[in-house]
Amino acid sequence: MSAAALGDKAASVASPTPAGARLRIDEVSKAFLGPDGGAVEAIGSVSLDIEPGEFLAIVGPSGCGKSTLLQVIAGLMQPSGGKILLGGQDVTGEPAHMVYLFQQYSTSLLPWMTVEANVMFAFNHRLKLGKAEAVARCRAYLAMVGLADFVRHYPWQLSGGMQQRVAIARALAAEPKVLLMDEPFSSVDALTRLDLHALILDLWAAKRFTAVLVTHDVDEAIFLADRVAVLTHRPAALAEVVATKLPRPRRSIETRESPEFLALRHRLLDYLLARGKDGSHASPA
Amino acid sequence: MTIAAESKLRPVAAPSAYRLWLRNSRASGVLLVLLLLCLWEASARFGIVQSVNWPPFSAVMASLVAGLVDGELLPVFLSTLWRMARGYAIGCAIAVPLGFAIALWRPVRMALLPTIELLRPIPVPAIIPPLIFLLGLGDSLRLFAIATATFFPVALNTFAGVRSIEPIYTQVARTFGVPRWTALRRVVFPAALPFILAGLRTSLGLAFIVTVIAEMIVGQDGIGYYLVAMQFALRAPEMYAGIILVTCAAYLLNRLFVAWEARAIRWARLADTAWGDAA
Repeated sequence: MSAAALGDKAASVASPTPAGARLRIDEVSKAFLGPDGGAVEAIGSVSLDIEPGEFLAIVGPSGCGKSTLLQVIAGLMQPSGGKILLGGQDVTGEPAHMVYLFQQYSTSLLPWMTVEANVMFAFNHRLKLGKAEAVARCRAYLAMVGLADFVRHYPWQLSGGMQQRVAIARALAAEPKVLLMDEPFSSVDALTRLDLHALILDLWAAKRFTAVLVTHDVDEAIFLADRVAVLTHRPAALAEVVATKLPRPRRSIETRESPEFLALRHRLLDYLLARGKDGSHASPA
Repeated sequence: MTIAAESKLRPVAAPSAYRLWLRNSRASGVLLVLLLLCLWEASARFGIVQSVNWPPFSAVMASLVAGLVDGELLPVFLSTLWRMARGYAIGCAIAVPLGFAIALWRPVRMALLPTIELLRPIPVPAIIPPLIFLLGLGDSLRLFAIATATFFPVALNTFAGVRSIEPIYTQVARTFGVPRWTALRRVVFPAALPFILAGLRTSLGLAFIVTVIAEMIVGQDGIGYYLVAMQFALRAPEMYAGIILVTCAAYLLNRLFVAWEARAIRWARLADTAWGDAA
């Protein structure tokens, strides 16, 4: 059942002009050099089409290579085979219109720079705005994440949730066409996580970038995404792609209690838990 | 039973103000220094140590002040400082870029690291006599010795600092498409700075020592030469005055460096102890 659900378009891509770009993952594979000199296959062969302005989540059992896939998409890692197409164009290296949001907020923000300098550093060598304009842009994006009053702080003076907000502002200030998120909400506490979910959805609705989220949290994937791609055990392959079809705007509490949400959650967890068992029996390591 | 056991516990008495002062104050440390100086003074004054070469501390201080005022000691000391500064600057100027090159380019690392590791254990004063044949007795010999002593800690610390950078820092630079040179300047360099500064601090102490030793061996000017000359001339107070001057200068220089270092990499200290991760 490779990519059977690919035709199942995201229902909620309703915005008139999405700023996001179409992202095509074309038979991407990745193998590493193993400790015994042999190749360890991390990603088998994954193909995915992501619509402009779509929110796609990728879930899979832990260690299945989903973060590796995201790093390959971001150009932080070279694929062993296949290619990444952004808006129809083959991209290699670090593509200019994709930004990677890291899980580790405390190290992804540079501790020797203020919050404002962190944000400015990320966009201004490309945009080359004048000082006043760049500062205004920083302020605007920090205001969007509710941190207008913290421009002169250092990242380590902020709480974990606030640091991840800065990282989000920094990523979006670069105005990416594709935002790649590597479990960005997994290191914050449960309530902060719900806050950040709502925030990222608001920003996505406003900016309409294409969003790809890698997570091990099925609830998070369903709540945020238009479609959820499920990966198999290592070597990662696409098991299925499920359209969530939940109405937007999504609401922190009500959406999570809706029968549709719970049914999807049941189905995906059922699959992942069964797979996890299969995998642990099957894999020799 | 538990109640009985508990009732035996006595509240911990608050330490008296005197004890607190004793525990936290720097006074005891200063006091010991003063005591040792008094002992020095007394040992010479009351003939406990009987030698013309053991002047009382007060006589040494008098000759120190005289030397600084009448202008015998001051130019000697300043020439030493100036020489050390130049040798140190040369050593650092070579070591920091080379440390970066070794860390960033594998071929450079493969080519240079074995030689560096082989040369590093050689005590610099030991190579001064053979170097006299090559460089003569001029300033270049002394500068070479100082720069060499400075070089190794700085180069190896820079290398280690660049190698131990958090990988995410460089990935952040890449995902935002920061050009290599900008990333080197604004990400790699600051991230490695705590290591580089530790190397610079180690070398500062070494440079002082090697400067004085080199001046003793070469013997033309500088405080090292002055110490040897005063010893030959049996002018013990002047000799000790010279030693005290060098000691104070080295101590002060180190303190200044530490204070500056703490300011320069304040973020590194505070980021480690941040409460942020818990919230």
